[in-house]
Amino acid sequence: MADPISVLVLLTLQMSTPLVLTALGGMFSERSGIVNIGLEGMMLIGAFTAVAVTHVARNPWIGLLAAVIGGGMLAAVHAVICVKFKGNHIVSGAGLILIGAGLTEFGSQAIWGHKGYSDPLPTTIVLKPIEIPALEGIPIVGYALSRLSPVIYIMFIMVALCWYVMYKTPFGLRIRAAGEDPSTLDAAGVNVEDIRMIGTILSGCFAGLGGAYLSIGYNTAFGSGMTAGRGFISLAALIFGNWTPIGCFLAGTFFGLLMGVRIMIEGLAEFQWLDPYSEFVAMIPYVFVIIGLAGIRRSIPPKAVGEAYEKEKRQ
Amino acid sequence: MSQEAVAEQSSNEDVKPRLLTPDWFKAKYQDLLSLLGSRAFQRQLMWAAGSILMAILVATVLMIVAGYNAFLAWIALIRSAIVRFDRTLLEATPLIFTGLSVGLAFKCGLFNIGPEGQLYVGSMLAAIVGYMIAMPIVIHPIVCILVAALAGFAWGFLPGLLKAYRGAHEVVVTMMMSYIAINLTSWLVRGPFKEPGQMVDQTPDILFSAELPKLFSAELNAGFLIAILVVFVVDLFINKTVIGFEMRAVGLNQDAAEYSGINAKRNMALALGIAGMLAGVGGAIEIMGWLHRFESGWSKGYGWDGITVAVLGNNNPWGILFGAILFGALRTGGRAMQLRGVAPAEVISVVQGLVVLFIAAPRIIEWLYNRFADEARRAKKSPVEAAPYFASIAVSLVGSVMGLAAITSVMGEALLLVLSVVGGILGLYAFVELLARDARGLKALLLESAMWFALAVGGFLMGYPEFLATFAALGVIGVVIAVAAWRMTKMDKESNLGGEN
Repeated sequence: MADPISVLVLLTLQMSTPLVLTALGGMFSERSGIVNIGLEGMMLIGAFTAVAVTHVARNPWIGLLAAVIGGGMLAAVHAVICVKFKGNHIVSGAGLILIGAGLTEFGSQAIWGHKGYSDPLPTTIVLKPIEIPALEGIPIVGYALSRLSPVIYIMFIMVALCWYVMYKTPFGLRIRAAGEDPSTLDAAGVNVEDIRMIGTILSGCFAGLGGAYLSIGYNTAFGSGMTAGRGFISLAALIFGNWTPIGCFLAGTFFGLLMGVRIMIEGLAEFQWLDPYSEFVAMIPYVFVIIGLAGIRRSIPPKAVGEAYEKEKRQ
Repeated sequence: MSQEAVAEQSSNEDVKPRLLTPDWFKAKYQDLLSLLGSRAFQRQLMWAAGSILMAILVATVLMIVAGYNAFLAWIALIRSAIVRFDRTLLEATPLIFTGLSVGLAFKCGLFNIGPEGQLYVGSMLAAIVGYMIAMPIVIHPIVCILVAALAGFAWGFLPGLLKAYRGAHEVVVTMMMSYIAINLTSWLVRGPFKEPGQMVDQTPDILFSAELPKLFSAELNAGFLIAILVVFVVDLFINKTVIGFEMRAVGLNQDAAEYSGINAKRNMALALGIAGMLAGVGGAIEIMGWLHRFESGWSKGYGWDGITVAVLGNNNPWGILFGAILFGALRTGGRAMQLRGVAPAEVISVVQGLVVLFIAAPRIIEWLYNRFADEARRAKKSPVEAAPYFASIAVSLVGSVMGLAAITSVMGEALLLVLSVVGGILGLYAFVELLARDARGLKALLLESAMWFALAVGGFLMGYPEFLATFAALGVIGVVIAVAAWRMTKMDKESNLGGEN
């Protein structure tokens, strides 16, 4: 057994992966001007789809891909409602959460026949960590680095990729412009609605990936409500990280650390005396999210976020 | 405002009839008539009814695809919701409170997503006061409600303060508070306030003096009457008091409200506090009227459903009352569906989510309504042209449902699985495009039919002979109808999805 610090590093990475991925997704949506509080529902759909498809296809990678598509499809509903039909973003997001929770419970009843949870997948077909024994020797991080799930690598790649896309490509510029000043973007001859549709659908793809990690990377089964507010914590990470990829990564890792601490305390023998108070330990991440949101200097959201863009409407 | 106008207004207020006199009833009746006749109200009603109808339609398709008998399920639901009307009202009671909680915050422009947690702290404290402190019979429930109100207020006020003075996003904070409340109450009921010697985590029963009297049946209790009273009070509060007016002003336009001298921040904090208070009282009522003790995890999503109820009732207290009764009926019926084994009760949560989605974008319902009105007009003018068009819509939808329903039986065969999934999705796409009277829908319908031919042949070769007849027929019908519609119906070149707005 490795020393506690090494375990905590690993737990932090594991817990922060879904948060960072989902927060990155939220960034695409909110930067393009669409508020997305439905991330929780998209994560749930992703987690469920991953298990269901892996169960059928017997291959976790297909499950992962299906989760990305599933999350994206739910986000597409949000996109159609908010962009095409100019509906209320927050209400629509709440509807998505309800649908995510309802569909996954309905689905697990329909597929596995019991309420709200799936049969565990055989360990042969879940995403196995990539073992690199050579790295084991490095102090502190070695234990973690030698057994990371492939999704965690994907997460690191995505942070870099998102930063590149957001700041170095025309597409990123258009996303940012759609959220800051859509009429200028429109005047430049770019279809604001298309950009916002793509941004929102991307957010669902990321959230689906984050949810899939929970069910087939970290666990081997789906349980209803297994995201336990991670969609909202990601939203907090997004605000905390000031709507930037690096900020999302740092904030997501911080909240992941808190969740890791929680699991650590529940698992370690030294903390056995805390067992009667496990609920308070479970509250740690939630309390810190509130403290974090209350404590930061006001972060500045994209200017036009939450507003439907009407062509040629007077400002 | 000129002097006379002021005088006239005050004299108008003078002739306002006194409460509960015959004149007052007459005036209220007139108000009701003018409300029913008003265009805005009718639109609102159309949105709500249309959303529910669409949600039920989608849920029906979902049930058929998953292999449940949707017809029997709805019959079971409606039957049970009507026969067990007392149960419906019992289920509606907490929904009224959580709905009012969300609705009141909405009036002030805030989204209270955490009534679940406020419900929990309220019910916990009511249960503790209910079983630990002996009090006389009428005073005991009142004290319980007051304590629960205080707890709920605190649980809403904190996010309100953080939102108003620190700019913390109220959606995230109320949600986090909700999780904290659920954990906290779960600890309280597992540790200090657990009934000794019980396996499950629950408090002892509350004293008889704290129970609410039953009404007419074993389930319905006085809590429902209190809920209606609270609807009345909240209506008065929002529409007839200064502070309610200020809250609405802040909700409509915060900057404008501040310019006119309203303390927006104080109002926001207070609005979330009162919202929390309402949910907390709802929890107390449920404990005193029905459960009689706090059990860990007793609320089966009443807080979440409050969001649906508020959205459906357009944040109007009386609308919320009707929304709550409707969802009480759905919950009661959903249980019956589950017990009879016709369909899982989770269908109801899907229906709820869909209702919220459709209400989020009233333009969807309006668009559909306009499309149907438009089509009806065209059909009247030339029925010959309309027939293949309507047939194509029906065929694309029926085909897609049948294709998706086939998924469960072809799980093992990858090729057939892909064919039926792709065909089903193509069918849905064709359905949407055809609804928009878009020619692309017909192409999609042709492609869908091709999938069915492939599925028929593939199924026949791979040991599903029953597929041959069904899907070959579906394919033939699809092609014939698509070609007929292509020749006979004038389709729009460009998609007009949402374009009318």
